[in-house]
Amino acid sequence: MSEQLEKNNNINYLKTDFKPPSYSALIDEIELGILLELGSIGAGHAATSLSEVLQQQVTINIPRLHTIPPHELPRYYEKHEEPTTAVYMQIANNDCDILLAFDAVEAKKIAAIMTMAPSAEELDPTMEESAIQELGNILIGSFLTAISDFTGIQLIPTTPQRVIDTFDSIIDNFIVKQSIMSDNALIFDAQFKRSNENANSILILFLSPQLQKQLVQKSKEQMGI
Amino acid sequence: MLTAPIWLHNTTISSINRSQNGVQTCEINELQPIIATTTEATTKTNLEEIRVNMAEMKAEKKPVTLVTSVGSCVAICLYDAVNMCGGLAHIMLPKSAIAPHESLPGKFADTAVPSLANAIRKLCKNEGRLSAKIAGGANMFPNINALNIGAKNVEAVKEALAENKIRLIAEDVGGSHGRRISFDVKTGNVTVKVFNGATAKL
Repeated sequence: MSEQLEKNNNINYLKTDFKPPSYSALIDEIELGILLELGSIGAGHAATSLSEVLQQQVTINIPRLHTIPPHELPRYYEKHEEPTTAVYMQIANNDCDILLAFDAVEAKKIAAIMTMAPSAEELDPTMEESAIQELGNILIGSFLTAISDFTGIQLIPTTPQRVIDTFDSIIDNFIVKQSIMSDNALIFDAQFKRSNENANSILILFLSPQLQKQLVQKSKEQMGI
Repeated sequence: MLTAPIWLHNTTISSINRSQNGVQTCEINELQPIIATTTEATTKTNLEEIRVNMAEMKAEKKPVTLVTSVGSCVAICLYDAVNMCGGLAHIMLPKSAIAPHESLPGKFADTAVPSLANAIRKLCKNEGRLSAKIAGGANMFPNINALNIGAKNVEAVKEALAENKIRLIAEDVGGSHGRRISFDVKTGNVTVKVFNGATAKL
């Protein structure tokens, strides 16, 4: 089965020596594929919303599903001390975290476009905060709505909260929370890019065990598997 | 990378002040150790930086700088002043009992402290006295997070240090901001850099 697993490049499998027994290692290829596909549908909708908000072309990387120990994630992104602006939301009844992380400079530029400020430097910090929170609402909202429409599971996000800090210390918090649940978590991510910029904006979904089960089960029903 | 030039700038200024003071006020005998420490401080910027990832522990005898970034995690720096070696652990959770399965010792406060202490003692081949400096344990989202894992981490680290009879000599914990920690294994100096630019020396 492991040979079969490594063929799918979009799924980032455990590449360390340390392989803990865990529930997500027990999920089979089809179920991982379902979750990845659901995420891709959501990410597609989110990218469209971003493009509509900014009136610009937005490209999206192939979304990935990580079945790695959560604490390996900072090493995967290699962003360590990069200044990051992030919007954090939670799915209300599911204890599932969603993080939308922008490069700090890129976030300013996006907020300036949204608020029609003459330039990113003249942007009022409180305006930036509310613009970025609103953007988080829109993107994560459309991401969840798309998944919700497909599966019929109600996914209601909490109010967004913004934080500016280094990348590692922001995701640290979520990784800790995931580690409590399991040594080997399922983490979905999609990266967006404005067509004329280099900075990647990342949407990270930390899937809770209950939601994984629900999503897989409902999707199977929908597809008649 | 970003911090390196600023650091160099600071240390060169402080070294000039120090050596001037030393020449004016101190005797030659007393001047020597001051010069020794300042030359170490200026070469410190050229030291190799080793990143300690989450749930990892690293013990070193060579003069290197151990670097890590923490939010609600806690970085534990243990230092043996006699043998001039030390180690850094980046712990994530307070108690190993929380985990669903057996796991890495570096992940938990109660397992990381004894195993890092053992690793350092083995490296120095000595039952030297260790001292500890800790940093981290922030609550990054104070409005949402009901479970403040940062504070629990700090509490558990202190407990574990007391249990293993390691003296805690400095700490920079709590708040709602991330920290970048660099630990100079040779001198035992810990520099904590906050994202907004403030630096603290422990």
